[in-house]
Amino acid sequence: MTESSLKILVCDDSMLIRKKLKEVLKSCGYGNVSEAANGQEAIDIYKESNPDLVFMDIIMPFKNGIEAVKEIIEFDKDAKVVMASSAGTKEHVKEAIKAGAFEFVQKPWEKEQINKILVNLK
Amino acid sequence: MFSQYFGKYLLDEKYLTKSQLNTALEHQKSVRLKLGVLAINAGYMNAQQASLVHQMQTKVDKRFGELAVEAEYLKEEQVEELLSSQRFGHLLLAQALIDKNYMSLEKFEGAIYEYKKKYNISELQFDAIQRDDVDEIINIYVNLEGDKYETEIKHYIALFMRNIIRFIDSEVYTNKNTKVEEYKTSCAVSQRIKNSINLQTYINAKEEVFVKFASKYAEEELLSMDEMAKDSVGEFLNLNNGLYLVGMSNIGIELDMEPQSVFFEKTIASTYVLPIELPFGKIELLISHL
Repeated sequence: MTESSLKILVCDDSMLIRKKLKEVLKSCGYGNVSEAANGQEAIDIYKESNPDLVFMDIIMPFKNGIEAVKEIIEFDKDAKVVMASSAGTKEHVKEAIKAGAFEFVQKPWEKEQINKILVNLK
Repeated sequence: MFSQYFGKYLLDEKYLTKSQLNTALEHQKSVRLKLGVLAINAGYMNAQQASLVHQMQTKVDKRFGELAVEAEYLKEEQVEELLSSQRFGHLLLAQALIDKNYMSLEKFEGAIYEYKKKYNISELQFDAIQRDDVDEIINIYVNLEGDKYETEIKHYIALFMRNIIRFIDSEVYTNKNTKVEEYKTSCAVSQRIKNSINLQTYINAKEEVFVKFASKYAEEELLSMDEMAKDSVGEFLNLNNGLYLVGMSNIGIELDMEPQSVFFEKTIASTYVLPIELPFGKIELLISHL
């Protein structure tokens, strides 16, 4: 799989965060990025397009990130989900990992952190 | 940060006028801090002694430190300590005021003394606040006496101010906080923190300031109250509250929070109102506990 073909889904209820993360991903060479504004949207898009990697916020309206990860993992046990939240409490990190996320990034993230995750994924 | 508080104090206590303060704030960028001001601020010399050394300097070609040691006003190690000490912001302001003849050394000495007295500040606290220790500044300036969550709310406010400095503007200070039974907001974002501590938090501002705040956080120029402006201020509050949750989690208090919401001209009940002054206008941090 080449870098440019990697399909990434960014799920955050903040359009500012989605925009900034997309910019960072693009600058790292990943341009194939779709967006979701809440957990339910992320599940729907995941089922439809089967992305290679998901960045998922936790606190969101309608369906939060932890519930969304559980459903995505239920659908695809090999799904790769990175939780990206400002609320990186011990409890949230534990819940996220338990739900099936493989990494947790505390907001505000730096470009280097995002790039490291992408490099490790290869 | 402390220089903003000190400047406001000098203005409120009529040591100087608004236009003098503005001129001095501009001048302080290029000011050369002198040992006399440092020694008075540290309490090692009084203004009279500093003036005498300045007079001596007109007759003898020696440095201020050398003459002060010869006159036994200072010890050599104190001179070394002062010369290597941090150039605190409020001292640059004071030096600028002295250079411009808006304030004498005596007045500066008096202002420092009265300031410590007014806020009942110990030497240790003064040392902390002049180093821009946000927790200590908030501890001195924010009054939540009698509130059962005083420590937790002050911790919240200090974090909020640190994030303002980090993401919005370092030239920030708080005005006197109040507690009101009812408050009508202008443009506000709100988020609830819940579990063992239940706080409703808000950022409130007039539209123009709200949009400027949003632009600063988004790092792009936003021109009106559009979805991006609302989202940007909401995300700032969300980030701050998330970091608050992490801090509380680290001391064993697990909290959670709800998604933030935006509203206009809504009346809210029983809340603390903390005005926060930024170079582009005033925002208010509202906190009510449920």
